[in-house]
Amino acid sequence: MTEKHLKEGYYFWSGDVAAAEGAIAAGCRFYAGYPITPSSEVAETMALRLPQVGGKFIEMEDEIGSIAAIIGASWTGERSMTATSGPGISLMNENIGLAVMTEVPLVIVNAMRGAPSTGLPTLIGQGDLMQAKYGSHGSYEIITLYPNNIQEAFDLMFDAFNLAEKYRVPVMYLLDGLLAHMYEKVYVPPREVWEKKIIRRKRARKGQLPYQPDEDMIPPMPLIGEGYNIHATGLTHDERGYPDLTPQAQEELVRRLNEKILKHERDIWKVEEYMTEDADVIVVSFGGESRAVKAGVNLARKEGIKAGMLRLITIWPFPWEYITKYSADYIVAEINYGQMYHLVREYSDNDVYQLNKMGGEIHTPEEVLKRIREVSS
Amino acid sequence: MSQNKKFKRKATVKVLEERCKGCWYCVNYCPTKVLQVSEKMNAKGYHPPVFKENIDENVVCIGCHLCELYCPDFAIVVEELE
Amino acid sequence: MSQMTDMRKMEEEWLRTERLPHVWCPGCGIGIVLNAFLRAVIRRNIPKEKMVVVSGIGCTGRTAGYVNVDSFHTTHGRAIPFAVGIKFARPDLNVVVFSGDGDLFAIGGNHFVNAARRNHDLLIIAVNNFTYGMTGGQHGPTTPTGAYTTTTPYGNPDRPFNIPHLAISLGAPYVARWTTYHVNQLQNSIYKALNMKGFRVIEIISQCPTVYGRRNSMRSPMSMMEYFQKNSVINNKASYEEMELTYNGKIVVGEFRNVGGIPSYEERYEEIIRRAQE
Ligand SMILES: Cc1ncc(C[n+]2csc(CCOP(=O)(O)OP(=O)(O)O)c2C)c(N)n1
Ligand code: SF4
Ligand code: SF4
Repeated sequence: MTEKHLKEGYYFWSGDVAAAEGAIAAGCRFYAGYPITPSSEVAETMALRLPQVGGKFIEMEDEIGSIAAIIGASWTGERSMTATSGPGISLMNENIGLAVMTEVPLVIVNAMRGAPSTGLPTLIGQGDLMQAKYGSHGSYEIITLYPNNIQEAFDLMFDAFNLAEKYRVPVMYLLDGLLAHMYEKVYVPPREVWEKKIIRRKRARKGQLPYQPDEDMIPPMPLIGEGYNIHATGLTHDERGYPDLTPQAQEELVRRLNEKILKHERDIWKVEEYMTEDADVIVVSFGGESRAVKAGVNLARKEGIKAGMLRLITIWPFPWEYITKYSADYIVAEINYGQMYHLVREYSDNDVYQLNKMGGEIHTPEEVLKRIREVSS
Repeated sequence: MSQNKKFKRKATVKVLEERCKGCWYCVNYCPTKVLQVSEKMNAKGYHPPVFKENIDENVVCIGCHLCELYCPDFAIVVEELE
Repeated sequence: MSQMTDMRKMEEEWLRTERLPHVWCPGCGIGIVLNAFLRAVIRRNIPKEKMVVVSGIGCTGRTAGYVNVDSFHTTHGRAIPFAVGIKFARPDLNVVVFSGDGDLFAIGGNHFVNAARRNHDLLIIAVNNFTYGMTGGQHGPTTPTGAYTTTTPYGNPDRPFNIPHLAISLGAPYVARWTTYHVNQLQNSIYKALNMKGFRVIEIISQCPTVYGRRNSMRSPMSMMEYFQKNSVINNKASYEEMELTYNGKIVVGEFRNVGGIPSYEERYEEIIRRAQE
């Protein structure tokens, strides 16, 4: 038996396949999932590829079981992942909260489709941005990343796993109906190159309590099977992991769970700034939609309008400094009724406009141009 | 005097009184009835059992460990003599 | 010192004694089950770092908080898939799911059914107290027809699960039922199951005097125990009909299924890895 790893070269992949291959390259060795359009090809790729590299794939009975299984697997030290779409995330939310509370690294792919409910199974939506952060009950922070091309769908998986492991937190990895099924060329570097990018989780020192944070507020993670006698519970707990149902324990724990992310937000943020330097109007966009926005901005520039684009690769924690930094007006282009719009408004002193479609397709560059013209006149 | 005389004393029972919640399964299931509900009260307000051998030398613990097996609170330790 | 005395000493090491007394009510049967479980594990000489206990939510779910091994108190109904993740990732570990009947068969029923079908190598300790203890005694998927609970004030119209029948129908290789009265049989059953492979299910009929007994004329812990003692019949060859539980009726207990040689999911996946790497 020999493990079969990706060879250096060019591949022609869909977003789903690239995300799956990126995950495996980034060290993912455990996948549990339940099929749903447009994410099913992630599962199919994992089923084919994980056993080739000695990893494990299991198709569970539903999304609730899937996320429960990857939380369990993550405690054994495996880099673990699941993939689904909006309806599946809705089912997973309770256990996303468990992973947040018990500080378990995970990567959850959500290939967003038109919604609410069953919506538009095969077509794009961007309506799950708020759900990504606020889906489970309670106040907490998680990390959300969102690529906009297939090369990036592969590359960004390294960030997804590294951030999850570094901060002991679930990372929501967004795709959308467009990216999931769109094919592009992807360059895969030699294995020695990509393996250097992998950051392993901090390991607990012997005797360190399982929830005793270091200076950086992140407790190193003990693993199952190494004699730590770990106890983990979704109840409010102390540094031993034992339930402590007091306002004091709640205050300390929940503050730390939020602050361990927020205090490191600059380490997490990734944003593409396109022609923003001198811009009078900046279109904020992300994912599949940002491809049209870039084209729209180019059209505007041709007309002499100083337009630019801010593409959020990190959705959460919200990269607010990139908004406060500019004194331009903003247009928030998104495939929903208006979600990130509210965040941009919160941080901008200037006018913030909307450009929305409810789902099924992205804007055309001309539609983007039209909106830029309107707001800059 | 007591029929228990025909049994040989094999063990002694230690009660971890603070763990006891007063279900008294031990008192009920002891075949030789060497445990009895005590007058004293623990911090949680329960009456733990008392080992009668300390009070009445005619009763004998045969070391069957039933009290220990039935105790839901890990409050009983049966220690064999020798 | 005798073996029994040694075992009692070791039991303390397997418990998070700093957390005792535990949360369970006076006379609650969950502690009896835990006691039997720990003794069986100790008799099997399983190293502590090779044992993992996973619980869901409920009174029984609190078990994970008292065993001094890697132990997880998860979400309501999800103990089984959580355990699946651990076992599949680390097949060398002994993974035990210790949870309540509502957790395992109502909210978690889908996971039970499918994990049994796939024959994951897990031992399921299912504590059946006929009710949702933690939330104050509502009826659940195991409440006998006619029983009184806070949500069946006129008697329960539902039909309860026949858990051994369910488990056997799904192909579980080891299926047994005992009550907390059967402390020795229970311990031996767990002892035996610990040495087997595949999805092993042990149902333990247990007393919840606080919220179930008191609404069903068994107010004291002892009166529930007496009910178990008087009504239990050991019959390893019981038919499915005989395994059914009725309100205040007979409780057929025993070891209903014990077959070896069915490959577990984890074993079958080894073959998948081999094929993938050919
Ligand atoms: C999603 C969800 N729904 C409901 C609850 C409330 N709840 C907690 S425990 C429980 C029932 C527990 O019953 P069982 O599993 O039989 O365990 P027992 O308490 O009787 O040991 C319920 C309904 C919950 N914690 N989570
Ligand atoms: S060991 Fe047996 S005889 Fe001795 S006190 Fe316990 S139940 Fe009674
Ligand atoms: S409510 Fe019932 S099941 Fe829960 S601890 Fe009390 S007696 Fe046990």
